[in-house]
Amino acid sequence: MESQIELQYEDVQGKSNAKMVRFIGDLDATNVETVIEKTFNLLNEGFVNIVADFEKLRYVNSTGLGILLHFSKSAKEKGGSFKIANVNENVYEIIEIIGATSLLEIYDELDEAVESLG
Amino acid sequence: MAKVEIEFTPSKESPEVAILTFSGELDSGSIAQIGRSFDLMLEGNYLFAVADMARVTLISSAALGELMGCRTRLLERGGDLVFAGLGIGIREKLTAMDANKVFKFFSDVRSAMNAYNWEYHDRSEGLELSFPSLLKFVPPVRQFASRIARQKGYGNRDSFRIETIVDEICNNAVEHGVEADGGDIDLNMKIDRKKIEIKVSNTSDPDKIDSLKEISKSLFVPQMLTEESKRGRGLALVKMLSNDFEIEYSDIGTCVHVTKLREE
Repeated sequence: MESQIELQYEDVQGKSNAKMVRFIGDLDATNVETVIEKTFNLLNEGFVNIVADFEKLRYVNSTGLGILLHFSKSAKEKGGSFKIANVNENVYEIIEIIGATSLLEIYDELDEAVESLG
Repeated sequence: MAKVEIEFTPSKESPEVAILTFSGELDSGSIAQIGRSFDLMLEGNYLFAVADMARVTLISSAALGELMGCRTRLLERGGDLVFAGLGIGIREKLTAMDANKVFKFFSDVRSAMNAYNWEYHDRSEGLELSFPSLLKFVPPVRQFASRIARQKGYGNRDSFRIETIVDEICNNAVEHGVEADGGDIDLNMKIDRKKIEIKVSNTSDPDKIDSLKEISKSLFVPQMLTEESKRGRGLALVKMLSNDFEIEYSDIGTCVHVTKLREE
């Protein structure tokens, strides 16, 4: 039984190479493979700018954070970006403690993250 | 013949607590008897009372008023009166009268005593569970640990940290453990009002113990996180979230001890 995580996708207006992805549930060692597969499908389809909405991401552990760093690196290598918005304070604390705030592009609001795509 | 009987018993585990076992109907005719029981209690310097209502068939508003008065007498001396074992029907009636906002209700005397010992003696409660060394068992275990912390009055942030600590240690135990028969992971949690102690032990693959020792050593050396740092941060996270952290190795396995102080 793996933890429940659901990814919902939405187009970003005026940005044909961008997708907004809502993370809903818990991101942990039991479901990272599924999330890797789905996110890399997006990157490989040409959606190299990903805005991840974490409003409903309840939990993330070190394994989940590891793949977020991996997404960020891979998106950059493809000329894009992986941006995160609406992080709840518990999840933000984990990102902060592990020292990943400077490696991930984190925004308070979804609109800010989308606008930063330029 | 009296419609109510009240038996007075000092608690064996906490001699300062009196168990008052009520039987029958508590109505206006039993008010004097209730009052006398509490007089005796106070004369014996008992300040805390558990009213065992399991054998009570009625509590009238007049009797309830008398019990409220008795509770006030105890509160004035720094004590309390709680109810245990109320039948469903009586409990519903008392709740409709808002008595649940005055008295604490417990399912039985044992639960009331546990709560008393927790509240006034800082006694801890423990949990032990074993589960197969497979990743899929870790999420329900970590969520269970977090719920226990919340149920024991720990705040959202502390409970989340407990969930993270249990998750990371158990994931590590799965990664470095063996799946074969007898390869279960044992979680031991001891919780009191001020801290939670967590112990996770597992049977380790002897070939993996050295790599685990290397990871452990790295926890005590500051490391720069990079975008390539996909693994190996779990125990570092646990160390940073906890107040005391220790790993023991033996020929058959490892045991991680963590103490997390309550912050909220």
